[in-house]
Amino acid sequence: MRAMPRCVFVLILAVALPAGAKTTVIDDSGTLPYESTLALHWQQLSPRPPLNNLLTGTVSVRVRLNLAPWLRRSGHIYLRLPAQQPGPMTISWTTQGRLLPGAISTGSRTLVYAGPITAPFIEDVLQLTLNVDAARMQQIYHVNFIFEMDED
Amino acid sequence: MHNVGRAARSLWFVALVGALIEQSSAFTIAIAPGPPPTVYLQIGVGTFTGGSYSTGGTPGNNATVNTVSVSVPAAAVGNQTAQAMTTDSAVSASSYDGRTFCTAPTQLYVGGFFRRPGNGGGSSATLTASVPASLIDDAGDTIPFSQISWTSSGIGDSGAEPFPSGTFTAAGTQSIGTIDRNQWAESCWTFSYANTIFPAAGTYTGVVLYTLTAP
Repeated sequence: MRAMPRCVFVLILAVALPAGAKTTVIDDSGTLPYESTLALHWQQLSPRPPLNNLLTGTVSVRVRLNLAPWLRRSGHIYLRLPAQQPGPMTISWTTQGRLLPGAISTGSRTLVYAGPITAPFIEDVLQLTLNVDAARMQQIYHVNFIFEMDED
Repeated sequence: MHNVGRAARSLWFVALVGALIEQSSAFTIAIAPGPPPTVYLQIGVGTFTGGSYSTGGTPGNNATVNTVSVSVPAAAVGNQTAQAMTTDSAVSASSYDGRTFCTAPTQLYVGGFFRRPGNGGGSSATLTASVPASLIDDAGDTIPFSQISWTSSGIGDSGAEPFPSGTFTAAGTQSIGTIDRNQWAESCWTFSYANTIFPAAGTYTGVVLYTLTAP
């Protein structure tokens, strides 16, 4: 009588997650931007049509990911930009080589590492460039990023 | 036995949620609202360093006060025939992209922009002119500023000008035009003297102050 409900629960869980692609949020509590606030400027000074109304800014971020739970295993690490205020944004970045450079838009994720996890931490410095429509910038916003691990 | 089974399931569920929360993390970047509102106004001569605006030039301050003038022959004074005025400004090029836009010295260039992030705070900047009552000569004789008007155009332009044709309103502040948010606006003014009065012979001067106001 007690065993049956557990089996049902496990089956539901198995359906919700694709086989072999368990996604886990990585502990990135050691990750910090070098500047407390990213100052944006006009991407294109010219205000004449066709109007480019984007604001842009670049910030350096020291990334430190705790990969101890996956040590001596393999996986894919993604950087996710969840849907949030101030709305649609595009982010691109360069790295110092430990992680992959790339780009991302709001609501999606991009691969930054694939391969074996050989150390409990992975560190890099990202130069993040953020673009956002100036019309959406009504106030200061805190943009959240998430690193995710897909275990192989 | 039944109660014990329910408790076991609850603990199992709590343990699972706990495992998910334990891994949760995210780093945050604070983004400021953006650059402050910016306006630029050029009446006649202006300053851009490093190229025109569209090629990355930077607008600067320019203290030049340009003059628009006309000499009316004695035989023509007050004959109701408007007299074309010319300017000492040699600016024919658009400060936006450097193309030939006006015809100096018969036209006076006026241009500027208004940029502001966000949606609040108004959609356009307003250009106004503070106009004295009269032009005055050394003897104190006067000519009403309302004798001076201008037509507005621009090479290659079609449709309404951002700074349209008009006539000075003596002794007042009048609206000259607007610049929409995040837009560059420019026009070329051709001034004329109405020549409908009979002032005493002399050199009459007056200063009009233009102001661009952003919300």
